[in-house]
Amino acid sequence: MKVAFYPGCVSRGGCPELYPSAVKVAAQLGLELEELTDVGCNGAGVLSREVSDPINARTFAKAEQRGLSTVMTICSTCTGVMGQANIKLREDAAYRERINREYLADEGLAYRGTVAVKHLLWILHEEYGLDRLKAAVKRPLRGLKVSPFYGCYIRRPEVIVEGKPQRKQYLERIIEAVGAEVVDFGGKGRCCGFPILAANETNSMAMVAAHTGEAKSKGADCMVTPCPLCHLNLDGGQPKAEAQKGAPIGLPILHLPQLIGLSLGFSSEELQLKRHIVTTRTVSEKVQLLT
Amino acid sequence: MQATFKVHRYDPEAGGKPTSQPYTLDLPDDATILDGLFKIRDELDGTLAFRASCNRGFCGECTLRINRGGRLACMTRVATAKNKDGEITVEPARFARVLKDLVYDVDRQLWQKIKAVEPWLQPNGGVQPEHEHIVPDEQLRAVRNAMKCYYCGLCDDGCSVIPFDNTFLGPAALTKAYRFIADPRDHAQAHRLRLVGEPKGMWDCVHCYEADEHCPRGIDPTARIIDIREKAVAMGIKSGATNPQVARHYDSFAASVKKTGWLDEGRLAVETWGMTRLFGLLPVAWRALRRGKLPIPYLHRKRPGAERISEIFKKAERRPS
Amino acid sequence: MPKHSVLIVGAGISGMRAALAAKERGSDVALISKVHPLRTAGGTSQGGVNAAVRDGDSAELHATDTVRGGDYLADQDAVALLTGAARRAVITLDHWGVPFNRDASGRLDARGLSGATRPRACFVDDMTGHAVVQVLHEQVLKAAIPTYDEWMVTKLLVEDGACVGVVALELASGKLEAFTANAVVLATGGCARVYEPTGAAYGVTGDGVALAYRAGAPLTDMEMVQFHPLGIKGSGMILTDALLGLGAHLVNGSGERFALKHAPTLGERAPRDVVARAAEEEIVSGRVEFVALDLRHLNGDDLKLKLPLTSNIIKTQAGVDPAKDTIPVRPVAHRTMGGIRVDSDGATGVAGLYATGGCAATGVHGASGLAGNWLTEALVFGERAGLAAAQQPARSEKGIDAKLTEERNRIAKIMDKPAGSERAGVIRSELGRAMRRHVGPVRDASGLQEAAKKVSELSARYRQAGVTNKGQRYNYELAAFLEVESLLTVGEVTVAAAGFREESRGAHVRQDRPARDDAKWLAHSVASFRLDGPAMAAKPVVITKWKPEGRRY
Repeated sequence: MKVAFYPGCVSRGGCPELYPSAVKVAAQLGLELEELTDVGCNGAGVLSREVSDPINARTFAKAEQRGLSTVMTICSTCTGVMGQANIKLREDAAYRERINREYLADEGLAYRGTVAVKHLLWILHEEYGLDRLKAAVKRPLRGLKVSPFYGCYIRRPEVIVEGKPQRKQYLERIIEAVGAEVVDFGGKGRCCGFPILAANETNSMAMVAAHTGEAKSKGADCMVTPCPLCHLNLDGGQPKAEAQKGAPIGLPILHLPQLIGLSLGFSSEELQLKRHIVTTRTVSEKVQLLT
Repeated sequence: MQATFKVHRYDPEAGGKPTSQPYTLDLPDDATILDGLFKIRDELDGTLAFRASCNRGFCGECTLRINRGGRLACMTRVATAKNKDGEITVEPARFARVLKDLVYDVDRQLWQKIKAVEPWLQPNGGVQPEHEHIVPDEQLRAVRNAMKCYYCGLCDDGCSVIPFDNTFLGPAALTKAYRFIADPRDHAQAHRLRLVGEPKGMWDCVHCYEADEHCPRGIDPTARIIDIREKAVAMGIKSGATNPQVARHYDSFAASVKKTGWLDEGRLAVETWGMTRLFGLLPVAWRALRRGKLPIPYLHRKRPGAERISEIFKKAERRPS
Repeated sequence: MPKHSVLIVGAGISGMRAALAAKERGSDVALISKVHPLRTAGGTSQGGVNAAVRDGDSAELHATDTVRGGDYLADQDAVALLTGAARRAVITLDHWGVPFNRDASGRLDARGLSGATRPRACFVDDMTGHAVVQVLHEQVLKAAIPTYDEWMVTKLLVEDGACVGVVALELASGKLEAFTANAVVLATGGCARVYEPTGAAYGVTGDGVALAYRAGAPLTDMEMVQFHPLGIKGSGMILTDALLGLGAHLVNGSGERFALKHAPTLGERAPRDVVARAAEEEIVSGRVEFVALDLRHLNGDDLKLKLPLTSNIIKTQAGVDPAKDTIPVRPVAHRTMGGIRVDSDGATGVAGLYATGGCAATGVHGASGLAGNWLTEALVFGERAGLAAAQQPARSEKGIDAKLTEERNRIAKIMDKPAGSERAGVIRSELGRAMRRHVGPVRDASGLQEAAKKVSELSARYRQAGVTNKGQRYNYELAAFLEVESLLTVGEVTVAAAGFREESRGAHVRQDRPARDDAKWLAHSVASFRLDGPAMAAKPVVITKWKPEGRRY
């Protein structure tokens, strides 16, 4: 199957380990990605919708132009922001018409409302198939204890799950599918604090400490997240969170494609696990022993 | 129909710890949780303290956590709430100080925060004294939607920030601010946006959409907060006076996307916090730099299509709001 | 001992309006309330605020509808005041920020409620009361009017025949404190909780009515109780009769629209007392518990748009899909036309004591109050009462300390009494059911005698009962116990007034006296406190322009 691939900004910026991991995993699974190379940042919930809705409409129109009906994201925030924009553009014909006319027409583009925005996480369940994923697993991650952390934008608001409440369990199912053990905890659907890093660093770091600390106390070897913005805070912000909390945490944070990639047989080097701020050594060692 | 209510009991002034006291009741089939609480107080235990007023789902007074979910006791039916063992847990709101049993400090939790946003219309005096404001009805719909709020506080109860920082204004108070900012008869928009743009105000919101999930009236407080943030940005009020880094963050983000089509995170960090602040992060920054996780600011390449993105920005800026 | 120029008991719509008026006069005014102002009962009002704002309407037409709606028991001078000031009351609310719905030209829109010959209820979707309460409270905050929240007034302080303050119980601490003022304005709401079931809020227990009565202020028209036809099963929660205005039907077991028998022209859109009585008769004669509210023929989306809150209640509380099934409804006690007799400035006859809103009877509603007029009354006369109270001079407070001690002892005695075998809640429930049975939409002499005996018996039982909760903090059992005393007083006077009026008029229908008797009964019933039961007298209705006619809808 073929999808339009929207890699977002952070997967090649602050989390450069994510992009190659995602590409490798997709290739191994036979998921054909056609990258949208000439589209822009969706706004990430920062930019006003007056400017981000046209940017996103253009992205969708570009996918349509290539004959593709699914835009795949590898970031919860991209999924939510673009997903909400898409829902509005699809459902409000007058609004879509205005955006097309005022912003896209002079490029010869027009969004017709036929695209679906889906995170790799959703595509694996809904289009690829979990059984197929299980069949592709070469190295089941037995004994690896993994806590899921979703990222707000892939779960809320309710419209985002488009009538599929099971989407709120997808990450746990993937952890199980790759042979690992789910360590459930209360913070899995809560906010990592990234959006207020500038406005209120104290609160932001407190959130990091709370969620990583909780997962760690429940016995998790690592956390997995489908959102690189969450990753920036949970991983990149963890030393600062520890300093603020006054106690160590030391919980490695994996990107979703890295977890899947390990089970498909990719090495830590191939998945660039050494790039993380919080060392992933314990995870790599545990996985090594499984081979 | 029988049901067992497991009710939170606690008197902070009597000392001791909170307990959960069970009461088994016989109730009519269509009884509500509130009917049950009154039966407890009238017939079984006169010491139970809880608040109630309208009994119609209008006033928000009986907001409680029933089976760990915030709802109105008068609108929740016992038949649907009880679990397979016929039990229902009844507790006060999560983060408010308990005054007694199910009575909690709404003043500190809610009323004080609402007062902080100057919650009264500030008209400009232009309307004729003998006549109503002439206003197209569509312009008042957003106001009426926000005014459906009956101060149940469930949005604050579900908020991601408040458990970590109870000084955050919170979605209820910010929705109240929205009510006036969206009212065409109010003429203090800029002042209000500056007021709620200060620390602990709207820029402290993580826009996690929990408030929208928790609001029983469909007001979507998170979406309202995003509305007033966008309004502020459109008016050039991108932060309060004491949190300028928020404005710098927005400007930097927008500037790099406008120029290159995507986000220059290195530039964003530098322009938001300044180099001296960043030196304070040196150990982590150095680690990040060595691992190639620190995008070098300004060495950020334009992506294909950048000019188009830039055009979109320019058009949006020219558009009358 | 807190001291103010004006103390307003009850921070509902009328109380807050009075406070704002007094404050504008420069008065040091304060509000004291059993619940936080934003939790007040008035917030549930859904119909609208009547005012002649539309073309083709006039204060005169509004008055005509009101006088007729009240079955000619309304004081016509008071009605003229109400309708003359209504428009300004609504404009003021708009200026303060109430987001009334607009018509296509951006001007105030209005809808037709029961008994109105022109659409004149200015509305805010289906939450007018809620919007008005909020905006009044916003203005109270702006004016920095102090509010004593969750204090229950237990006694009026009367010194040399004048009211100089109150004693109130602070629910948080259990302490009793005296509050003095040049004038006290009672705005404590009506008495509908004397009935069971009722759609009224829990706090509507007639506290102010009972306090004023025992302090020497007469009560008038207490027999006039409005039953709302659309109480859903169980709690007595009501559905707004805007549903009837939108075309909903009420049918009996045979599918007949029985309201048309009583009101051939308006049917379900006739004034509430007509529709409630029609439903009551179907229920009694058919020996059923409910009649059916039929919305199936209405546009469901239109309904959700116009009445969103109501749609939700139907679904979650009645458990019915109105597109597929009918909703079982029955009449429940809703509002009380009667109350503390006041003049047009809210004066009660006891110096320094004023009353407004639900607890007061200004005379505008007569024997049946029209939907939409209640909010108008609360605003117009609330303003007047606030202004009048603000002009009262200070009086002697010599005996306050002694009276406070006396009240503290009284409450202490209640607390110390062994609870006995009976709790006040049982007494309240028995009273409520007896009132509904014998003093409901349809009454008769023998039923009223039964009711009088029952109230007497319950009062005796009440004197033996006590309070099991001996704690000081948030002792709602004590508060409820004190409320039952108010309810027993209200019950006693209501029964007496219903027995006194030997005719049928408006909401008061006696099967043994089915005709309206203008020769003898164009008069208000007036009840004055005596230790052995209310002394009843008749006071002629003020007739200026409108001569009594037949009242058929």
